[in-house]
Amino acid sequence: MKIAVCVKQVPDSETRISLAAPAAKLDQTGFTRVLNPYDAYAVEEAVRIKEARGGEITAITVGPETVKETLKKDCLAVGCDKAIIINDPALAEADEAAIAEVLCAALRKDAYDLVLFGIKAIDDDSGQVGILVAEKLGLPHVSTVTKLELGDGRLTAHREIEGGKEIVDCPLPAVLTCQKGLNEPRLPSLPNIMKAGMKPMQVVTCADLGIAPPTSLVQVKQYSPPPARGTCRLVGGDDAAAAARELARVLNEEAKVI
Amino acid sequence: MPNIAVFIEQRDGAIKKVAWQMISQARRLADAAGGEVWAVLLGGDANAAAGPAGAHGAHKLFHAGDQLAAYDSERYGVALATFCRAQKPDLVLVGATALGRDLAPKTAAKLGCACVSDAIALTFEGGAWEVRRPVYAGKCFVDVVPKTAPAIVGIRPNAFVAQEGTGAPAPVVAFDAGQAQVTPKAVVREIVTATAGRVELTEADIVVSGGRGIKGPEHYALIEDLAAALGAAAGASRAVVDAGWVDYSHQVGQTGKTVGPNLYIACGISGAIQHLAGMSSSKCIVAINKDAAAPIFKVADFGIVGDLFEVVPALTEAVRKIRG
Ligand SMILES: Cc1cc2nc3c(=O)[nH]c(=O)nc-3n(C[C@H](O)[C@H](O)[C@H](O)COP(=O)(O)OP(=O)(O)OC[C@H]3O[C@@H](n4cnc5c(N)ncnc54)[C@H](O)[C@@H]3O)c2cc1C
Ligand SMILES: Nc1ncnc2c1ncn2[C@@H]1O[C@H](COP(=O)(O)O)[C@@H](O)[C@H]1O
Repeated sequence: MKIAVCVKQVPDSETRISLAAPAAKLDQTGFTRVLNPYDAYAVEEAVRIKEARGGEITAITVGPETVKETLKKDCLAVGCDKAIIINDPALAEADEAAIAEVLCAALRKDAYDLVLFGIKAIDDDSGQVGILVAEKLGLPHVSTVTKLELGDGRLTAHREIEGGKEIVDCPLPAVLTCQKGLNEPRLPSLPNIMKAGMKPMQVVTCADLGIAPPTSLVQVKQYSPPPARGTCRLVGGDDAAAAARELARVLNEEAKVI
Repeated sequence: MPNIAVFIEQRDGAIKKVAWQMISQARRLADAAGGEVWAVLLGGDANAAAGPAGAHGAHKLFHAGDQLAAYDSERYGVALATFCRAQKPDLVLVGATALGRDLAPKTAAKLGCACVSDAIALTFEGGAWEVRRPVYAGKCFVDVVPKTAPAIVGIRPNAFVAQEGTGAPAPVVAFDAGQAQVTPKAVVREIVTATAGRVELTEADIVVSGGRGIKGPEHYALIEDLAAALGAAAGASRAVVDAGWVDYSHQVGQTGKTVGPNLYIACGISGAIQHLAGMSSSKCIVAINKDAAAPIFKVADFGIVGDLFEVVPALTEAVRKIRG
C-alpha cells in the first residue's frame, strides 16, 4: 500500500486572537504551531494500515519550512516514511482551491492507493481541501470517516451524518477525510523522534512540481473581532430551586428564548 | 442578473430547515440586487416543497428527481454542476450540514469555482458578494469576496432567520441533471440511524450541555431531562466525551460540533477556550456552575452560581410548568 497523508500545521487550539479593530491581516507572531488535530487521525490511520499490510507513507504539506519540527515529531516519528514540504512564497495567500491544486501536483508524481486528510483545519475551519483534491484527481472520496475497513482493492468506511452514519463502499485508489473517533493517535517516543531525523524530508517549490503557483478563487478582505458579549447577569434566590425558577422566568419573559 | 440558487436538502423526503432560512435571506438579497431566487431540489417531492419554497421567497423551484432520492456526492455533484452550467446563477447557497459540507466543495471543484464554507453573513456590496465566516473556531471573523461566478457558499444552520410570507407556491421547473450517465464509485450501502427522534445539535434552537461537573455518566440524564423539557438537543464538553460518558456526536467545541442556537445552557462546564469555540456564537448563553470564577461566566448572558445537582432538576421542573 502506498499512502499519502496531507497535513497542515496550525496554531494551537489554546491560541488567543487579539484583534482590537478590523485588519487586513492577522498578526500571527507568538502563535504556537502544532499538527492540525484532525490530521493526527489521518496519520495514525495510515500507520495502522502500514503495520497491518506493509507499505510506505508519505506526509505532504504546503507551508513554510517552520513546519519541519512538526513533521518530524508528529509524522515521521510515529511511522511515516518520508515527508514533502511544498514551500513557495507565491503561496502565502493561497486559498483552499489553490492549496488543493498544489497538493494534486505533488500527488500526481506518484501512484498512491490511499490519500488521507483531516476533515478540516482548525485555523480556516473550511473542510474543503480533501474533497477538492479528490475531485481534481478524479478519485472517489468518503468524507468525515469514523471507521475504516480495508479489503482487496476496496474499502468500507463509516461516514458521520446527523444522528447516525452512512456505510460507504469504495474502490481504491480513494481519498478519505478523517474525523475524531477513527482511532486514538499514538504519541511519538523520544528514540523515534531521534531516528526520525534520518528520514527523508524534501523541500520543493511549485516550479519543482512543474506548475505555476495557482491563483486563489477567494479574496480575503478583512479580519474582525467577533461582537463583544455583555456582562453576565447572575440570577439568585433563597435556595437553588428559587434561583432556578427565577432563571426560567427571566428566560421566558425577558429574554424570550423559551 | 445576480440570481441566487439555493440547494434544498431533503433526506427521506423531509427538508432541512436551513433551506428555508437560506431562501429567506436569498430573497432579501435578491430584492436588493435585482435578481431572482431559485430553489434547487434533487430527489424528494417537488410539489410538496413548492409551497414552503414560495412562501419563504423562492421565485422558482428547479427539480431533478431521477435516481436522486438518496445522496451520493458523485451524482449530486454532477446534478448541481449541470444546473449551474445551464442556469448560470451568480451564487449557490448550500447548508453547512453533513451533506452540504460534502457536496459544496465537490461541486465547486467540478465547476472550478470559488467555494466558501460555513458563512454566517452575506451581503451584496457594489456589485460583489461579500461573505462573513468565523475562523479559528469563532475567535475571529473573516470577510471574503469570491472571485468567480458562480460562487458556492456554505451557510451555517441558524445563521439566518426563516421568514414565511404569503407568497404563492414556487412554480416547479423540471431539469435534466445529466446524472443518468454517472455510475458513482463510492456507494452508500447502508444508513444507520443511531438516535431516531433526537434533536440534532447543529440545527437545534436550544442546546443544553453537560460538563465534567456532572461527575459521572449516570448523571447525564439530568442534562437530557432538561433538554427534553425544552425540546432541545443535548451536548457535552470534551471532558465528558473523553471520559466515555457520552458519545462523541454530542461534543461541542473546536474539535466537536459548532452550534449557534438561540439559547445555550452550559451545566458544570468551566468554559475552556476550545469549548467556547464551538458555542460562543449562541444568541443567549446561560451558565450553571458552582465556581463563580469559572470563565464560562465571561461569555454568559445569565448565570446561576450553584450546584447543578440542585439547580438543573429545579430548572427542568420550572420549564415544564412554563411550557405546560
Ligand atoms: C486540541 C484540543 C481540542 C479540544 N477540543 C475541545 C472541544 O471541542 N470541546 C470541549 O469542550 N473541550 C475541548 N478541549 C478540552 C478543553 O480544553 C477542556 O479541557 C474541556 O472543555 C473541559 O471540560 P469541562 O468544562 O467539562 O471540565 P472542567 O474544566 O473540569 O470543568 C468542570 C466545571 O464544572 C464545575 N462543577 C463541578 N461540580 C459542579 C457542580 N456540582 N455544580 C455545578 N458546577 C460544577 C466546576 O466548577 C468546573 O467549572 C480541547 C482541548 C484540546 C487541547
Ligand atoms: N497547506 C496544507 N498542506 C497540506 N494539507 C493541507 C493543507 N491545508 C489543508 N490540508 C489538508 O486538508 C484538510 C482540510 O483543510 P481545510 O479545507 O483547510 O479545512 C486538512 O485537515 C489537511 O489534511
